[in-house]
Amino acid sequence: MDKSLYVVFMYIVSHAGLILFLYPENIIASTTQGHWVPIVIEVFVHFFILTVFLKGLNYFPKQNDLITIYTSAGKIIAFLFLVPIFLYFLTSNIITVRGYSEIITIVFLSNTPLWAIMVVLLAISSYLAIKGVEAIFRTGVLIFILLFPLIIFILVISFQNVDWHYVYPLWVEDFSFFSQSSYYKSYFAIGGVFLFLGFIRASIPYKNKYVLIAATAVIPIFLLSVYIPILVFGQATASTFLYPFVLAVDSINLTWFMFDRMTMFFLLSIIIFILLFISLVLWMIVRVLSKCIAPSIKPFYLVVAVSLLIFIICLFIPSWKDVEQLFLWNTILRFYVILGVPISVVILGIKSRLEGDIK
Amino acid sequence: MNIKKSKIYILLVMLLLLTSGCWDNRDINHRVMPVVLGVSKESEEEYKAYLQVPILQEDGIKTQIITGVGKTINEIVDKTSANLESNVDLLHIKVIVIDRAFAEEGVKDLISGIMRSREIPSKALVAICEEDMDEFFKKMSQVELSDGTALLDYFEKNAGWNPQIALTRVWHVYRSIHSYTKDVAIPIIRLGESTLIEQAGSAVIKNGAMLDEINSDETLLYNAFQGMSAHGKIEVLDEGSVLILDNGLNFASRLENELPILTLELQLEVMILEVKGDPTIEKIEKELEKLLKPRFENMITKLKDSEADILGIGQLFRKEIPRAQLKDWRSKYYPNLKFNLTVDVTIQNSGNLKEPGE
Repeated sequence: MDKSLYVVFMYIVSHAGLILFLYPENIIASTTQGHWVPIVIEVFVHFFILTVFLKGLNYFPKQNDLITIYTSAGKIIAFLFLVPIFLYFLTSNIITVRGYSEIITIVFLSNTPLWAIMVVLLAISSYLAIKGVEAIFRTGVLIFILLFPLIIFILVISFQNVDWHYVYPLWVEDFSFFSQSSYYKSYFAIGGVFLFLGFIRASIPYKNKYVLIAATAVIPIFLLSVYIPILVFGQATASTFLYPFVLAVDSINLTWFMFDRMTMFFLLSIIIFILLFISLVLWMIVRVLSKCIAPSIKPFYLVVAVSLLIFIICLFIPSWKDVEQLFLWNTILRFYVILGVPISVVILGIKSRLEGDIK
Repeated sequence: MNIKKSKIYILLVMLLLLTSGCWDNRDINHRVMPVVLGVSKESEEEYKAYLQVPILQEDGIKTQIITGVGKTINEIVDKTSANLESNVDLLHIKVIVIDRAFAEEGVKDLISGIMRSREIPSKALVAICEEDMDEFFKKMSQVELSDGTALLDYFEKNAGWNPQIALTRVWHVYRSIHSYTKDVAIPIIRLGESTLIEQAGSAVIKNGAMLDEINSDETLLYNAFQGMSAHGKIEVLDEGSVLILDNGLNFASRLENELPILTLELQLEVMILEVKGDPTIEKIEKELEKLLKPRFENMITKLKDSEADILGIGQLFRKEIPRAQLKDWRSKYYPNLKFNLTVDVTIQNSGNLKEPGE
């Protein structure tokens, strides 16, 4: 059965969760004008790696996932790619859990200790990860239907306070954002998600066309997440905020709406999106572990062990500054993974095709 | 199977307890939720805060004023929380009243603090009080039948707001502190003789400090400039009075030899309310134009001299001036602004009676 729609929903939901939090801050910090230029470049990179990756995967039969592709190509290649992928997933999950629980304490649960929030985040996502990939994707559909209309509503009404003059100057003066580390950090929003396409091929079959449609549907979220705060506050003010988009949502004032703070609904939906993302990454980590290192251990125990490890490491990160440091280290790994994996898969694919022809 | 299922249900119920986020939860009857926060400077370093709290009683709602002195707002809140039998919760503050002397000194740190903490909503309204703050809040608490929201109702668009009152929120003020090209006006209020509050124009704020003031007629133009509707304002002329039905503003901006030049056209659609004598339609239109044009021109000239761009004229030049120079908009370009203003009045109807002078 074709389950492309599952993949589309999951793709959109996890991107929305990643983009609407840290992405605006990173882009606003990387350039002072013409923000659409870095965003469009990023969107192009996104499409490039996505099409290359999908093309590469197509060389292999459906039942081969990313892990079998690498392990069948020899030990060295498996080591060269699977270890970075594993480490990248692990650090991204640490950053996401730690970062988002910090956001929760800053924004609304100021009395709740950090560890309690992290326990909840990890407990729910571990539960989902234990249930397996099907459960994660089905939850994704449910959550998309329940919460995405709300996100769209908030995106639309946050235009309430915009001042269109802030759109100028339209063009970037120099391409200095390429030398800003925050620009590379912003690739977190595209770097984490697309790899799951290589992991779910066997269990959730999908058509490539739909994945590209999902990636197109995400483009407006990239632009709006940056431009709404810019248009409401202006670059000079927005650059002083840690979460510009959250503050832009905070400024919405609707007298006819029965709830006073739109931010709560917005943040809770985003956090639920992120829960899905965390559980998906957890599932992929465990997949790598159980296929390569410990095939005899039940996935249940592996999930528990990995989330415990993540929890303990998160406890040792004392401040937001350290999260940002980790983010920076993760960036190097990220570019290795998001560029290395699609390209290597294409090369391996062509190689196997040629070998097949010879045989 | 059933045992396994019940285990999962137990786990889910436990999660339910955790996910509610109720940590150190205080019930609503142990919270004090002030609606209005007043801030003045007690001495060089210390603030004095006034919290206007509605208290539910058997025969209605009473207003209590809690005051405290401290180095920061949070310290004051913390102290009063400790002294009270309940916890002070600032999440529902709707209006922040700032003492005039304090506003003239500058409220940058106060506003940044509010934006940072997230306790006080960033969409709370800001007003400046000309009166002695002790007196002002004493009067506030004495109002009969007040549910503590009188001040809020005064500013609410669906209650007592009028087009000649500036409507400024905390994040507007914060934006004006950082933005290169946009300042803000904060309404000034004082105690009225027969009404509770009387509006006394607006304060011109630049970089978080009050520089100048504009009267309420000028505030109407300020609001019109922001794209707010001036609908409902009545203008009185020698020939009678008219009601503004609709307003629009067209701009054209250009830069000539580094000199900003602005062409403005204010369009008004009005309805005749009263006439004295027998003036023609044209005459009323002319008179209204003659009334508004110098008023607008004087205001812009005054604002130019104070280098505070509350109208956001700089916004219109963002296209022409590169960002590096935009930083100097207020000091270099704005004082040299040349503008050309036309006011265009259309009398839409004359009420139930036929047009005069016919």
